Amino acid sequence: MRSIVEFTGVTRAYGSRLALDDVHLALEPGELTFLVGPSGAGKTTLLKLINREIRPTRGEVWVDGIAAHSLKASRVADLRRRVGVVFQDYKLLPRLTARENVAFGLQVGDVRVSDREATDRALDALEAVSLGDRGSAFPHELSGGQQQRVAVARAMVTQPRVLIADEPTGNLDLETAWQIMDLLENIAAFGTTVLVATHNVEIVRRLQRRILTLVQGRLVRDQPAGAIGRMEWLASASS
Amino acid sequence: MAGLGVIVKGRFPKRQMLRVIITNILRRLFFGAARNWVRNIGSIAPALGSMTLLLVMAGLAGLGGFALYTLEQVEAGQASMLHVYLRDSAPSVDVNSLWDRLANDSRIAGVNYVTRAQALARAQRIPGLPQLADASESNPFPASLDVQVKNINDVAAIDAMVRSDSAVDPVYPTSYDRGAYQRIQAVVFGVAAGGLTFLALLGFVAVTVTINSVRAAIHSRRDEVTIMQLVGAPRWMVRGPFVVEGAITGALAGAAAGLATFGLTMAGMAAGSGTFTQFAPGVTVSVAALAATAVFAIGVGLGSGSSLVSLRRHLES
Repeated sequence: MRSIVEFTGVTRAYGSRLALDDVHLALEPGELTFLVGPSGAGKTTLLKLINREIRPTRGEVWVDGIAAHSLKASRVADLRRRVGVVFQDYKLLPRLTARENVAFGLQVGDVRVSDREATDRALDALEAVSLGDRGSAFPHELSGGQQQRVAVARAMVTQPRVLIADEPTGNLDLETAWQIMDLLENIAAFGTTVLVATHNVEIVRRLQRRILTLVQGRLVRDQPAGAIGRMEWLASASS
Repeated sequence: MAGLGVIVKGRFPKRQMLRVIITNILRRLFFGAARNWVRNIGSIAPALGSMTLLLVMAGLAGLGGFALYTLEQVEAGQASMLHVYLRDSAPSVDVNSLWDRLANDSRIAGVNYVTRAQALARAQRIPGLPQLADASESNPFPASLDVQVKNINDVAAIDAMVRSDSAVDPVYPTSYDRGAYQRIQAVVFGVAAGGLTFLALLGFVAVTVTINSVRAAIHSRRDEVTIMQLVGAPRWMVRGPFVVEGAITGALAGAAAGLATFGLTMAGMAAGSGTFTQFAPGVTVSVAALAATAVFAIGVGLGSGSSLVSLRRHLES
């Protein structure tokens, strides 16, 4: 039985530079995992491999039983419907309301979804991220934290098996960042595999979830959830 | 938060599902493309203008090419007709013998005897020759055997065969002019090659401008495209609207150019039907309408094709 996300000997090179070097890892359903490391360590590259934005130079990437490493371009959409994505800069469409942004994510991924169904599910998703009453607001009328919650709702409305988040709290104050992390914890509790790339040492320390540490493209440490280890390396890795 | 994971997906009857799918496809592909086309009219205008110009040129060049082809066919027909001029004093037995020899030749489609009177009548229908005919008190045109050769390449051999015949005029034996048809072919080829080169150049400019306008459209909607790709929108839904936008540009340019081509041709016909027929043989109202339709179709193809090329270059999956 494969894990929901599995990397086997994955190397990704950009020219002569190795962004990822022989990475092996497996993520299980319902697992919330942090991906840490200094800038340029390969965190974003690893996330992009899961979503098949890029292919590995060597090795295999399996996502929910799909071989992302050898996936044809015409089948990439199938994979991406199983992977929700949250960005540091939210990437909401400014001319759409919060509800329309969430519904947009739903309807462009599946033409069988009617307007009414899309609206209902978008409102449900916004309700789930505590923004049920802000569905008519445009992104510029929302705070950063609210915008990020809309982005999470958009990523989750299709009920993906995996959620990847690239610095989801990078633009938020600590209190708002904790709200987002609570949200991601709850999503994982419902069975979605959540992988969060972050520089936020405070959050990583306090939540005591599984931590993957990348340094210069190599997975140098895989610390299981709840493990009490030395944390000095984390501070240096995140600087 | 309790709502996450328990969002209920409803089941629709098949007919309603089909309606939803069609509505969504129409909205994403066509209505969205039309809305974006209007929104981006400023960046599309140069492509629209250059494509219209190209298509008008292509339409007129196409009609010109057709006229040249018709002319070349007429010339080829005339060039494969060999007039064998008969000696005035040739006995009928010699003429009959020559006729039989020609009529039995497998390279020859038909032989027709033209009397001196018929030759004179024919000459009087040719511009410039009536005065020549009238200037002479007697009929200056000899009787002839008009030989229709099947293949134009055999005309020289037939000419060589009959020149020395006793029934043939020794001074002006035949109408054969070795280089006449080749000269016409060379002129036609030169005009066609020049026209095609010019059109290719103009086509390159139009395609380049269209590619750039589609690239600008892609960049102006970069976030939307990125989000569509990341939430698993199928490729046709991401790329389709851009192709439709290109097709709209091409269709509008094609329609304008088609109307211009048809209108200019009609105006030419109305201005001087006799002159026009001489300059553009074979070009009729129906040919002009066909050319306008072709121009429209080429416009749609050019617009959507340019968009596809641009998408391949500027939109990674």
